[in-house]
Amino acid sequence: MASKPLFKFLLRRFIFLLVTYIVATTIVFILPRAIPGNPLAQLLSNLSRLAQANPEAIRAAERTLMAEFGIDKPLLVQYVTFVFKALRGDLGTSISFYPRKVIDLVVPVIPWTLVLLLPATLVAWILGNTLGAMAAYRRNTWIDKGVLTTSLIVSQIPYYWLGMIFIFFFGVRLGWLPTQGAYSLGTIPNLSWGFFLDALKHYVMPFASIVISAMGGWAIGMRVMVVYELGSDYSLFSEYLGMKDKRIFKYAFRNSLLPQITGLALSLGGILGGALITEIVFNYPGTGFLLFKALTTLDYPMIQGIFVILIASIYLANFIVDFLYALIDPRIRLGQEE
Amino acid sequence: MNEVLMRIENAKAYYKLEKVSVRAVDGVSFEIFEDEVIGVVGESGCGKTTLSNLISMNILKPLTLVEGKVFMKIDGKFEEISSMSREEVKKKLWGKEITIVPQSAMNALMPTIRMAKYVEHLAQSHELNGKELLQKAEKRFEEVGLNPLWLKRYPFELSGGMRQRAVIAIATILNPKLLIADEPTSALDVVNQKVFLKVLMQLKRMGVVRSIIFITHDIATVRQIADRIIVMYAGKIVEISTMEKILQRPLHPYTKGLFNSVLTPEPEVRRRGISVIPGTPPNLINPPSGCRFHPRCPHVMEVCKEREPELREVEEGSKVACFLYSEERT
Repeated sequence: MASKPLFKFLLRRFIFLLVTYIVATTIVFILPRAIPGNPLAQLLSNLSRLAQANPEAIRAAERTLMAEFGIDKPLLVQYVTFVFKALRGDLGTSISFYPRKVIDLVVPVIPWTLVLLLPATLVAWILGNTLGAMAAYRRNTWIDKGVLTTSLIVSQIPYYWLGMIFIFFFGVRLGWLPTQGAYSLGTIPNLSWGFFLDALKHYVMPFASIVISAMGGWAIGMRVMVVYELGSDYSLFSEYLGMKDKRIFKYAFRNSLLPQITGLALSLGGILGGALITEIVFNYPGTGFLLFKALTTLDYPMIQGIFVILIASIYLANFIVDFLYALIDPRIRLGQEE
Repeated sequence: MNEVLMRIENAKAYYKLEKVSVRAVDGVSFEIFEDEVIGVVGESGCGKTTLSNLISMNILKPLTLVEGKVFMKIDGKFEEISSMSREEVKKKLWGKEITIVPQSAMNALMPTIRMAKYVEHLAQSHELNGKELLQKAEKRFEEVGLNPLWLKRYPFELSGGMRQRAVIAIATILNPKLLIADEPTSALDVVNQKVFLKVLMQLKRMGVVRSIIFITHDIATVRQIADRIIVMYAGKIVEISTMEKILQRPLHPYTKGLFNSVLTPEPEVRRRGISVIPGTPPNLINPPSGCRFHPRCPHVMEVCKEREPELREVEEGSKVACFLYSEERT
């Protein structure tokens, strides 16, 4: 019965995603080019050292490189080439890591970012919402007050500052945990217990700093929403009918979760910036760290490439969340019929 | 006269604030008989909703029952429901003995589950068989004029009037003896109001509910269904009377004012037109001395300012709290 409107809903979302994807890639194309500077400068200076300062050879190399990266063509042509190539999965060649392909550079670091951010975001979301709901259920008790005060303080701490504090105490002072990287220098990533344990040690601090700072906000939001829902008309009516408190709380929790899921989708997108700084602080080899390098060297193809992949994955996440939303909120799913 | 279903004895329910108390229900006594519809009327802020909270034992801080008792006949014998804990009230009274059709019935149903599921949850809460209760709900839906198939829908798929009927159907699913409706029709258009009243009376005729308390400021609505009327002013009952008597000859000056302020189809009403009561209801933190209506009363006497009139029976079936009538008697 519900499959047809659900299909329509999904189709509508998909078209919407396509349009936003095009808009986003356009912005990604324009923005790095708005930064002043010559992206080939570093590459050429490296070359000049190798070529023993032969000006003719360098000029020739510059022309070849310009043609290779397509920077000599008008912007519009560059843009069209970029979009069509990107659709075919060709993100071009990196300038600063010339002649390596962008895709070959980005793909290996993606798992590191996903492994760090996906669990961290989800754990923060789950823990925060659980704590917030608990506080609302026992409102005006010491549990509520404890959760609320801690959340308020914790949510205002910048995650990178927290990360630095962690590094100082657990890494430098106590020496319990390694201060940088995703695994010990000199080891090669492999599927052994030894490597897993080593990676886990490196993982704890960046993970914890993200989870702790994100959790408080979720908890506060959830608490407010559940308290509001518990005072709403349907909660009162259920109470008048002798509905068990636990059930009423479940209703309130369910209805409060809906806006939180939207929030989760937004934060899956928004956490990118957070990952960037966290990865820099911990010297963690994720996409954020790579993006940071690409930005400092004005590596156009790399910046574009990373953003194309990240935008695609964020939209995918949003799409999945939209789908979940349609599943759990009948008002969204059936509301499209009218 | 029928048997008593509920007895309220000198109840005083105050909103206890930090330094002051709002005396929203102040020394109210009356009975609710089996098989009757009582209309409670009065201006906003005269204690009507507090009275409904008192009757349903929905007493949450800062509201406090300062004095008085409430008894209800449960399984043939009277129990003091005013001494029950909130847990007991929830377990024994709500849904089973007393049901409340809330002021905003539009949003009263859990929005994100199907109504059938809601009924199942209700069955679980009351430790009843889910399937049986669902069958009962289907029957009840039919009785209030809704297709039982609607139970498989979400509340937001129903129109306002239909939702209201769905709320009544679900509110009366456990055959509660007393139904309290607090301004249930104020959000409905006239046609749906009419349908709502019809449904309410039908449920009573069928014996689903025994008695109904209908709280409203809309006299035109309540006169269509009420057997007796309670007129409240500033936390006190100023007049209790049968519908016919109060329509023929309202006794208390406030009742007269209230009835004169609405258009009803009686010829004498048409003749005299409508008028308003000057002034506003008093502050219930510090109500006027004597009769609380005296600052607004057109017949005010010296005694009204000093002493409080008692609610006395002046005619068979008519009680009024006014010195105009105690003098008549002496």
